[in-house]
Amino acid sequence: MTRVASLTVPPLIAAQEMEAARQIAPHLIDTPFAVQLRRFVLWVGLSALFIALCIGVDMTPAAFARGLTKLADFMRGMFPPNAAGGEVRILQALAATFAMAVTGTFLGVLGALPLGLLGAKTFVANPVLHFLIRRSFDVFRAIPALVWALILIVAFGLGPFGGVIALALTDIPRLGKLYAEAIENSDPRPQEGIRATGGQRRAAIRFGLLPEVLPVMASQSLYMLESNFRNAAILGIVGAGGIGFELEERIRIFAFDQVAWIVIAYVLCVMALDYVSEKIRSKLVHG
Amino acid sequence: MLELKSVTKRFGQTKAVQDVSLQIPAGSMVGIIGRSGAGKSTLLRLINRLCDNHEGTISWHGQPVSELRGKALSQWRATCGMVFQQFNLSPRLDVLTNVLIGSLARQRGVAPMLKLFPAEERARAILELHALGMSHTALQRCSTLSGGQQQRVAIARTLMQLPEIILADEPIASLDPANAQTVMETLSTINRERNITVLVNLHALDIARRFCPRIIGMADGQIVFDGTPDDLNASVVDAIYGRHVIEGSGPQAEAQNLLEAVA
Amino acid sequence: MAPNEALKAQIIREFEAERRVTLLRLRLQQALVLVGFSALIAACFHVSGFFGGSQGSDPWGRIANLLDIMIPDLKAGVIFEDRATKGSLASWFYDMPTWLSLLWETVQIAIVATLFGIFGGFWASLLASKNLSPSPIIHWLTRRTLEVIRTLPDLIVALILVAAFGVGPLPGVIAIALGTMASLGKLYSEANEAADMRPVEAVRAVGGSWWAQVRFGVLPQVLPHYASYGLLRLEINVGAAAALGVVGAGGIGIELSRAITYTEFDTYFALLILIIGLIILIDLVSEAVRHRLIGLESPA
Repeated sequence: MTRVASLTVPPLIAAQEMEAARQIAPHLIDTPFAVQLRRFVLWVGLSALFIALCIGVDMTPAAFARGLTKLADFMRGMFPPNAAGGEVRILQALAATFAMAVTGTFLGVLGALPLGLLGAKTFVANPVLHFLIRRSFDVFRAIPALVWALILIVAFGLGPFGGVIALALTDIPRLGKLYAEAIENSDPRPQEGIRATGGQRRAAIRFGLLPEVLPVMASQSLYMLESNFRNAAILGIVGAGGIGFELEERIRIFAFDQVAWIVIAYVLCVMALDYVSEKIRSKLVHG
Repeated sequence: MLELKSVTKRFGQTKAVQDVSLQIPAGSMVGIIGRSGAGKSTLLRLINRLCDNHEGTISWHGQPVSELRGKALSQWRATCGMVFQQFNLSPRLDVLTNVLIGSLARQRGVAPMLKLFPAEERARAILELHALGMSHTALQRCSTLSGGQQQRVAIARTLMQLPEIILADEPIASLDPANAQTVMETLSTINRERNITVLVNLHALDIARRFCPRIIGMADGQIVFDGTPDDLNASVVDAIYGRHVIEGSGPQAEAQNLLEAVA
Repeated sequence: MAPNEALKAQIIREFEAERRVTLLRLRLQQALVLVGFSALIAACFHVSGFFGGSQGSDPWGRIANLLDIMIPDLKAGVIFEDRATKGSLASWFYDMPTWLSLLWETVQIAIVATLFGIFGGFWASLLASKNLSPSPIIHWLTRRTLEVIRTLPDLIVALILVAAFGVGPLPGVIAIALGTMASLGKLYSEANEAADMRPVEAVRAVGGSWWAQVRFGVLPQVLPHYASYGLLRLEINVGAAAALGVVGAGGIGIELSRAITYTEFDTYFALLILIIGLIILIDLVSEAVRHRLIGLESPA
């Protein structure tokens, strides 16, 4: 292997060759001081900013060490997972959370349908209206369900009702945007064809637009249901009941074996729902 | 001396390269011709170890390379540079960095990961680019260059490896005739002036005849011809490209042209 | 002529009969799906106590009442007076300095969490992409791990982390960073798998290590995708960070929670306006940066 190994030491470039290269492109051989300075300042500046941000959120090694020690204790407490006789109760809570997600999604779909139509450029010609609706979708999309739930549960009392409304309110802008995009991206030719045969606008929508967009919209609604199952779980923390409430209760009393049991059951349910929903969605979209 | 002894490579059931034995003296320029699917590309990739052979041995100056692992393998790959049909440059990186990639096998530590290369390497890259008439593009993105320019950058990258062999896999198949000519002349010059062994896969017979003193013909993974351009006669071309393709149009017409080039 | 007519009639009859059966089967199927779906919806409405139950007898009245107590009593005459004057803007937004600093903390949580999420997602994506992963087992394990993390809502994770790290922004950062890592890890691995492998092969052919292949073959291609996914995620994370304070994980959510506890519904409304304003701001900044990134792309 002598020949192959000999390559590790490449023949050094001679001084006169260095000079030749310098002649061709001096700035690529010796980096100008100004460039080096700019690079240095940029790196130092960005690092300082990053460190400042980290300190701003209490991200210090000491805090980390303290928290991780406790977290390790929690982890040890999680094994073996144990429902402590609450299996039925936990499964009921999971069912309630699922029911909340379905109801919220259903109401969200009802609310998003008209708004999605109004937000579609191809449906509403007025650019101002279109812009306002789409922009408000963008803004309200970013408000988490929890922020709605917090106040709605006070208004409607403890229980799933406020949670359902909160989920619907979260869904409307998200679904509205998706619906509007689906309508805009639909193929205009079937509608044109129906108009061309003398059909009314209503007929064009019924037989030209709906067959195009309904499967897409149904698929998006199912996707929203998947996301709502996760959202519904956290609403229990602020009093909407369901699995989130069960979980919070046990975290507060440090019963981590039960927490682990609930989390495992919950993760399995989410995965099952995602699996079924994905199957239906691919059937909807690909026929 | 590059030596292949009964080298065989299978993809599933099909044998891409079948029982190939070859001896190529250091410093020679060899053209490999054959139809697509004849196993030319696989042969070059076996030599560079981009894929592994199932049977037989490949050795360079008596040292077997088939079993190399880790550091030794990357050093062997640096020893034999690859030139690709599609150039295989990183389109969003500048020309200089693409050329400096050729020096990676001898770089250490994290500095090259931050695109920090020693001044000597940068100087060498610029000299290589300059020799190929490309130094003025050093800071351009590769995606802004034409095909011919990209292939020259790719050759500069290969030269950065300080290779002893260059394996060129259809280097001119994606280029127009003028650029193809330039690239072949470049490879030929490199072979003569730097005494680097060049193995070049070619589709076109006339190019092979013009630039390669030794030609190897492959068909169905086997060597069916090995000799000088003068030894290539019509029956040999038949054996390489197949008689059954001669009548009709399309690829057949191409084979007809090949025959005329021989005549 | 006559037998021909008879044959024709026969064929039409058979076709009609088959059509009826097919239609009936289709209708039956549709009816079954519809009944099943309606039953599911009805059951879900029932379980979530939508009709009757806890919301009292007069839901619309309660909504009206809620809106009534959320809207502050602003008085036109004193609207620009100081905090002490009832009915002024300043008395509505009475704790503005605290809120602004909490909003800033929310942004900090989102930025730091997104940065760590991008960092973690990058490494996870290398292990989770089929074309780069060192081994199929690692590829499979990483994918499944990311999936499990994605099923856990960030607030549940935050709840556990607050118990471990104590009240403050740190548990919030960790919770959001984990979620970001899991979702970006998936998106990034898809970008990696879509990358052109020819440059990677070239780096392999010059004798470059796995690191060099990733650095010079893959990264230059996928970096713009990474950046734009990261920015989109930052927008989502600002919203998520605003909610985290409710479980004690820092940011403006603490004030939201406090306003509810003290039944200051007009304050809640004020905070909601601030949060929406922040989201619009981040949205605009991120959009500008994204356009700039795309603008840098186009001349190439």
